[in-house]
Amino acid sequence: MSQKPHADHIYIEALLKNNSKVLSEIYLKFSHKIISYVKKNNGNSDDAQDIIQETLVTIYHQAKEKNFILTCPFDAYFYLLCKRRWLNELKKRGNNRVTIFEDDTSITEEQEQQVEETEIFEKQSQLFESKFKELGEKCQELLKTTFKIKSMEKVAEILGVTYGYARKKKSQCMGKLTQLVKNSNEYHQLKAY
Amino acid sequence: MKEDHYITFDNYLNNELSGAELASFEEQLNSDADFKQEFEIYKAIESSLSSKFENEEEEKALRNTLSKLGSTYIKQENSTKKKGKVISFLNYKKLMVAASIALLIGFFLFNNGEPVYSDFSNHQALELVVRSENNEAIVKAQEAFNSENYKVALEQLTILSETTKNDAEIELYKGICFLELDNYVEADVIFDEISSGKSVFANTASWYKALSMLKQQQFEACKYVLQRIPESADEYNKAQKLLKKL
Repeated sequence: MSQKPHADHIYIEALLKNNSKVLSEIYLKFSHKIISYVKKNNGNSDDAQDIIQETLVTIYHQAKEKNFILTCPFDAYFYLLCKRRWLNELKKRGNNRVTIFEDDTSITEEQEQQVEETEIFEKQSQLFESKFKELGEKCQELLKTTFKIKSMEKVAEILGVTYGYARKKKSQCMGKLTQLVKNSNEYHQLKAY
Repeated sequence: MKEDHYITFDNYLNNELSGAELASFEEQLNSDADFKQEFEIYKAIESSLSSKFENEEEEKALRNTLSKLGSTYIKQENSTKKKGKVISFLNYKKLMVAASIALLIGFFLFNNGEPVYSDFSNHQALELVVRSENNEAIVKAQEAFNSENYKVALEQLTILSETTKNDAEIELYKGICFLELDNYVEADVIFDEISSGKSVFANTASWYKALSMLKQQQFEACKYVLQRIPESADEYNKAQKLLKKL
């Protein structure tokens, strides 16, 4: 895929490089609209700060794992992500009955698509993580060590088992996790996309 | 057996299959939909969790930065709304003494201290060109604004902005009213919008954004905005003057 990055891709790079100078521009330029939206819809500025931070961390992970390229302006993309995250949060808090103040932000198809890509990415990561936590302690420990330390020889050494056993166990644990994901409702919902 | 599946997945992803083994694996991937689906899930989990655990430290560092930025740029509600207190008479005397000392100290410090909003907030009088409709609201808005009655001015400007959508001048003055009424969130939204647009009020809006930051005592943010006001702007001199004091 050869996507052409938008000039605003600098914000994605800033997330990857933890560049606080460029990141401060995000807060300065884009946060007020989000704070205003959250406040109009049953939230306060602390909520807005959380929403903004979690959205940025998600984008960071997507960029890190999937080499996410931003091809549209950051403003509308980011605003829509934060907005939807806040609506989800309201739902979680059981605030279904509040009337939602809607604003007329126009959004292009391309922006919509990028927003959806990020949201699906997040849902998938969350699904994997929650199923990972359903595994037994031994499996969790083994997999975590495996993913952190790339060499299986070292993993075997740390865990005090043979190389062959570590490899076999890893496949077994991964197999279990694959099954858990495959049989979950969330996975079937995600597949529908 | 299932278990062998997963060992093969792992071997394949590690590039450890070759020859007949590799061929038979790829053959099964093409012909067996269930096998393929499981492989896709396996691969996706491996990629996701690897990335997650590998970057744990980096994520922590990023969160740290974001928390700091969040508390710098997003004004916490609790600190802005200070409630008045009722003071008993006994304490009142003590307070008067303290206050006069504070006043004295303040007097000496004033010239060297941080600049304050009121030193820079001389608004240009509102003089809207009379439009065909809603002349009454225009007159009321102008009167109210020019006599510093920002609450009424805001009401009238809001009526006007509903009939004349996207008039940068009306929006700007609405922003100034919000700023005067300490409604920073609304004010900043308006200033951001106008300053990123192409109207003749773009630089004025940047200047007001800086004033808003000043009033909220966010001095770093204020500087940042001021530094971006171009030399060609009417507000350039004021901006430079304020910058020197920061």
